[in-house]
Amino acid sequence: MMHAIILPVVLPAMLAPLIGFVMRHDITLARTASVAGTVVSFAIAIGLAQLAAGGETHIYRLGDWPAPFGIVLVLDRLSALMVLLTSTLALIVLIHAIATGWDARGRHFHALFQFQLMGICGAFLTGDVFNLFVFFEVLLIASYGLMIHSGGRERMRAGLQYVVMNLAGSTLFLFALGTLYGATGTLNIADLAARIPEIPAEEAALVRVAAMLLMIVFAVKAALFPVQFWLPATYANAPAPVAALFAIMTKVGAYAILRVHTISFGPGIGSTEDLASTWLFPAAIVTIAVGAFGVIGARRLMSLIAFSVVGSMGTLLVAVAAFSPGATTAALYYMVHSTFAAACLFLIGDLVVTRRRGDTLSAVPATVENGLLAALFFAAAIGMAGMPPLSGFLGKLLVLDALRDPGLIGWAWTAILVGSLLTIVGFARAGSVLFWKSTEATLSADATEDAPAARATALELAPAMAGLAMLAGLAIFAGPVATYLEAASAQLYDRAGYMSAVLGPAEAEG
Amino acid sequence: MSDGGTFLIIIALLPFLGALVPGIMIRAGRTACATFTAVPTGLALIMLLILAPSVMRGEVVQAELSWLPQLGLSVSFFLDGLGLLFAGMVLGVGLLITLYARFYLSGDDPMGQFYTYLLLFQGAMLGIVISDNILLLLIFWELTSLSSFLLIGYWKHLPEGRQGARMALTVTGAGGLALIAGLLILGNIAGSYNLTDILQAGDAIRASEWYLPALILILIGAFTKSAQFPFHFWLPHAMAAPTPVSAYLHSATMVKAGVFLMARLWPVLSGTDAWFYIVASIGLITMVLGALIALFKDDLKALLAFSTVSHLGLLTMLLGFGTQAAAVAAVFHIINHLTFKAALFMTAGIVDHEAHTRDIKRLGGLRHLMPVTFVIGTVGALSMAGIPLFNGFLSKEMMLEEASHTDWLSNRYLVPALATLGSLMSAAYSYRFVSHVFLGPVREDYPHTPHDPPFGMWVAPALLAVLVVAIGVAPFLAEGLVTVAANAVTGADLHPHLKIWHGVTPALWMSVIALVGGAVLLAAHAPLDRLWIAAPRPEAKTIFDRLIAAVVTATRALTEATHNGANSRYLAIFTVTAVLFGWVAFSGSGLAAPTRELLPVPMVIAVGWILMIVATGSLVIMHHRRFRALVLIGIIGLSISAGFVYLSAPDLALTQISVETVTIMLLLLALHFLPQATPRESSTGRKLRDGVIALAAGGGVGGLAYAFLMRDVDTISGFHLDNSYEGGGGTNVVNVILVDFRGYDTYGEIIVLGVAGLVIFALMHALLDGPAARRLRNADYAKDLSRDRHPMMMVVVTRVLMPIALVVGLYIFLRGHNQPGGGFVAGLVVAIALLMQYMASGFAWTQERKKIEYHTLIGLGVVIAGLTGAGAWLAGQPFLTSAFTYVHLPPIEEFELATAMLFDLGVFLTVLGAVMLMLYSLSRIARFAGTSVNVEPMDYDPGDPAYDDGVER
Amino acid sequence: MEILIASTVGVLTAGGVYLILRLRSFPVILGIALLSYAVNVFLFASGRLAIDQSPILAKYGEASYTDPLPQALVLTAIVISFGMTAVLVMIGLAAYLEAGHDRIDIVEGEDDAGDAQS
Repeated sequence: MMHAIILPVVLPAMLAPLIGFVMRHDITLARTASVAGTVVSFAIAIGLAQLAAGGETHIYRLGDWPAPFGIVLVLDRLSALMVLLTSTLALIVLIHAIATGWDARGRHFHALFQFQLMGICGAFLTGDVFNLFVFFEVLLIASYGLMIHSGGRERMRAGLQYVVMNLAGSTLFLFALGTLYGATGTLNIADLAARIPEIPAEEAALVRVAAMLLMIVFAVKAALFPVQFWLPATYANAPAPVAALFAIMTKVGAYAILRVHTISFGPGIGSTEDLASTWLFPAAIVTIAVGAFGVIGARRLMSLIAFSVVGSMGTLLVAVAAFSPGATTAALYYMVHSTFAAACLFLIGDLVVTRRRGDTLSAVPATVENGLLAALFFAAAIGMAGMPPLSGFLGKLLVLDALRDPGLIGWAWTAILVGSLLTIVGFARAGSVLFWKSTEATLSADATEDAPAARATALELAPAMAGLAMLAGLAIFAGPVATYLEAASAQLYDRAGYMSAVLGPAEAEG
Repeated sequence: MSDGGTFLIIIALLPFLGALVPGIMIRAGRTACATFTAVPTGLALIMLLILAPSVMRGEVVQAELSWLPQLGLSVSFFLDGLGLLFAGMVLGVGLLITLYARFYLSGDDPMGQFYTYLLLFQGAMLGIVISDNILLLLIFWELTSLSSFLLIGYWKHLPEGRQGARMALTVTGAGGLALIAGLLILGNIAGSYNLTDILQAGDAIRASEWYLPALILILIGAFTKSAQFPFHFWLPHAMAAPTPVSAYLHSATMVKAGVFLMARLWPVLSGTDAWFYIVASIGLITMVLGALIALFKDDLKALLAFSTVSHLGLLTMLLGFGTQAAAVAAVFHIINHLTFKAALFMTAGIVDHEAHTRDIKRLGGLRHLMPVTFVIGTVGALSMAGIPLFNGFLSKEMMLEEASHTDWLSNRYLVPALATLGSLMSAAYSYRFVSHVFLGPVREDYPHTPHDPPFGMWVAPALLAVLVVAIGVAPFLAEGLVTVAANAVTGADLHPHLKIWHGVTPALWMSVIALVGGAVLLAAHAPLDRLWIAAPRPEAKTIFDRLIAAVVTATRALTEATHNGANSRYLAIFTVTAVLFGWVAFSGSGLAAPTRELLPVPMVIAVGWILMIVATGSLVIMHHRRFRALVLIGIIGLSISAGFVYLSAPDLALTQISVETVTIMLLLLALHFLPQATPRESSTGRKLRDGVIALAAGGGVGGLAYAFLMRDVDTISGFHLDNSYEGGGGTNVVNVILVDFRGYDTYGEIIVLGVAGLVIFALMHALLDGPAARRLRNADYAKDLSRDRHPMMMVVVTRVLMPIALVVGLYIFLRGHNQPGGGFVAGLVVAIALLMQYMASGFAWTQERKKIEYHTLIGLGVVIAGLTGAGAWLAGQPFLTSAFTYVHLPPIEEFELATAMLFDLGVFLTVLGAVMLMLYSLSRIARFAGTSVNVEPMDYDPGDPAYDDGVER
Repeated sequence: MEILIASTVGVLTAGGVYLILRLRSFPVILGIALLSYAVNVFLFASGRLAIDQSPILAKYGEASYTDPLPQALVLTAIVISFGMTAVLVMIGLAAYLEAGHDRIDIVEGEDDAGDAQS
């Protein structure tokens, strides 16, 4: 039994209380511990990724109870990838939060941050739908705390909306689980996959409802139309580093759809397979439009970025909706890409906004390091808008190339291409106002009403640059990355393999 | 890979690597910067020349590196005649521009930035022309759009620069996206994204049903890039860029990318009617239109820009004809146009630089002031006009020759006539360029008295002018290059002969008409100009701006109307979605036949049910009275717990009740600060809407519940019942599930509680440190409190209850594993006991007697639970594996000590800590709000005679 | 009995949904509370109903027990929703104190003063 599998959950869960309750009076101590913990988690995640790369599906049986009666953790290429993605992002964001002093603007930032990581990793690793719910709640309640970190009127009110929306989502989650248990009598993903096919197709109404409701729950997290409304206000008002970290939260929703609706309800299960694929695709198409429209119409930098996140989720889920190994490979590549792209934008946006003292998209006198920030923003925008040379372009090509099905090609291609055109235009307008127009002499004349903002320190810039480096690396090493992702999605669609690994006594001894 | 291939890759990389140089070398001064910028370009050019001979022999240099095989994307380059021609142009002109820009840019322009962008563009453009993989080509294609965006917007402070940049990016970007689609389709038809493979698959592609969409999409890409009608309007506005950029990108190289693409794919796409009628017609229109507008432009650069548009149209038309001879003419004209147009742009730049104006109407007579510039400009202009002995004449002659025998919808005269008209106007504006700028008398009113620029500035155009004449006089010089390039385009083996005199052909007459007519037109320019200015004509920029503005307004309106912050509506949409899609899913299948009978309903339950229904109903109706609403909530909670008791769920009942109590207490405390009533502000219609949604949702879940309540299913919980005692060491299966079978859930659950405590604590601080604090101070919350806030009875009773409650808590905790109870309930019970102290004697009094730090409690709880789980590792068991043994202490019933119990202790501590921390936070706010604080157990001393009848005297 | 339980779930849900669609934070909090009751009963019901079959193993004899698993799930759900409700209450309170009113919708124009940094 590989104890390392549970470390991404237990480590932060043990560290967070220490930070929150023992070290809470000394920010330096808390920072050190938080960074150290995140670095270790990162190392563990790399180890797990290597372990998973072997191709075997590793099982961790909590309390040593066999599935489906106890809860099991499942480590395959996909979950390992997600954990690695999470801890990489966490490291980048954490450094930014410390460098910019965001973490000191309220209480318990680091404790909540660690709990957040615990929740996310737990959600990625679990093999049990009710346990998935529990970890959704863990990551949510931590995110509530982070969302309203350092308070403020707008943030409190946006936070209230965020909480209410998600409580409603959690309630629906429970309704779905109740229906699922009532219909199948089990909660284990693999066991569901085993039992659902046995239900005659004409008596599957309850399971179908459960599957559909679950998809809506995940869609709320993934900001899918028509339940995406909460995202822009939340992300635009959250503290920038938190918004950057939230880039992974939308992916939790996408991951859950990929996992549950592939293995439990997925292709090959007559009674439920049509649901996700039928309804996900059109919803995702509209989501792309919502995002693109929001980007081009935005008045504030942060909400522009937030809407670009919505759009990217649309593109991602269009690929997911195809529910084919090929398309999923593209989806995974795009998922990794868009996570870092969104995070970069929020971090850079933070640097810009701090210096402009406001994030409205209007020309104010050029601030310090106009050129440098402009360059960073330009690069990140290129990434998000899917222009070369960064990974966004390859991601877009992969998705387009994967969606050749004549039924999809028209809508999908039009949406993605027109969407990225609007996004490009939107970012170009924003950038030109923020960094070019502000250099006009007329403006710089009255540039001195208050002391100029401080220059960004190397440590403040490093995380954003690291994020951009990730995008570049993702593009340069696209080949090897895609190979891993190809294997990951192949493993995801190997339901028999998953089931025998989780349920079969012989294989269960991961 | 052949070393030729290695060379090729190095050539492709050099500009990008070189892009790092200027930023560094600018510190060494502007000349150093320019020189070092020239190095990578020069190197690349030399290596290209080394490869040239083999290409001239008809060989193809190839190189391939794997990149993203899953997509069919590889870093593969190949150099054939066409690639050689364009690569030579890109690098050669690049070199000249670097030199020219050194003198053109003024002292306060950031030169390092300029050269960086320039090299980035150079690399991208070079990539386009030598890519052997169309996806790779796409990457470079988009990169040229981006780098040209940066170069056009180089003068950030100029509005026209920014707008021109955005317009160019939008138009070419849109084209780029269309091109992506087109090329992907093309690749899918051919079954490969490798250009060499695609070029073999011509017949298959032309036969495919996807041919037309692919063709159209690709042409959109090409036309936008090469400024073909109706996308031509961005090019003139790109002239806001510094002149070196205009000369390089917007006449010599980038705008030729579209032409290059059409030439590159010529063997695959051309030869169909669709190709001829789209490409040739668009080209023809663009040629004529561009020439016409150019004729009336007073801005030198605008004139040249539209002439460029016109000549690109000419090239497009030639490729559209689809004949090999036309292709040869196109290739030859690419070379010629490059030479004279780049020279002319640089001349215009010099004039602008010297006279500080580009307005033709303010110029004239410069011949005397700047003779060198005059010579260069004239050579270029005459070539552009198509005067014999200048190279422009030769290719134009070939063009007219082709046009003269091209039918359009079986109309023999249309194409020749328009072609002649085009070159006639072209001749006219070329004459104008010479006569209105250089000829005529010297004027007194130049913004700045011009004179010839330094050698460094005119040598570049001069070199080009020499080429113009050389090729014009001795065309065979270009024959070799033209041949290999044309062969590459057509895929045939041609041996064209470029000569000045083709005998008396129709083309000759058309030429004569053009040249003479041009002169006449120039003579009549003044009146025509007035006419032109008077005549109404669509201004592309305003249309474009309106379009963008409209899009922005529309999208913004849509977005802000939908994402309007109305959470209640978001929730309504969410609910409707759930109900609707739930129904869709449900109706897609049916239910099995019911297998259970209804259980009997005893009276008491029926009553409880009615109570619950009534309570809920009245809650909905009178929720405006908040205090009352809380009472109702309490009733509902109680009746539910009663139901749990009856339905064999004692643990649930216990937990429900205690949670109930604590929740209500918290709500009461919070309500202390909130408005006491909810204003009635929903319209009847809205209430109706919400009512319908609510009923739909309620009916939905009710139906679901009923559906599975009537049907059996075999569940996994049989295992839990069987193994609870042996495996989990407890008879209370629910508790064993909580702390053992699914202890991991509980672990997450207590962490949720702990985090809740943290969040609330942090929140409280955010509040008290924020502006809200002021509001709190000002608000008078001490009002309407009874004088006797801490009645003696309550104080006494709670004091007595305290120890009892603690014992009960302990008891509940210990028996939990076998009987209803457990850490959670125990924690709540103790918490309630403490809460009662707070309520009885107030926050401060109790706070002073508080010995334990609540943070520590939570931390301890979470850590203990975690450690208990991790303890199993020591035994080599997985996380949360439990072990247990039985203990028998006489007074208490037999109980066992299980590690699970330690875990439960963690639960207990966390619950206690979390609840108390929440309360503590509320109390902090209350004390901040100025609620008078008492340190005595009661507000007044009953023993004081002043109070003996409870009323002050 | 089943009808009663199903209708209980239905009524509570309907009430809860109606309340969360209100415009002030307090009724929304009440609505969430009602919904959590509803979902708890729903989840509990997914183990089917049984009378006098508490899942407390009897020392002697063969007894039949109701399905314990849903009860455990409900307990977890209750605790979680307790924590959530507490946080919700506090954030509602905070939002009220910050904004000076307890409207839950952020009306256009009212929040333009806002600024990502605040």
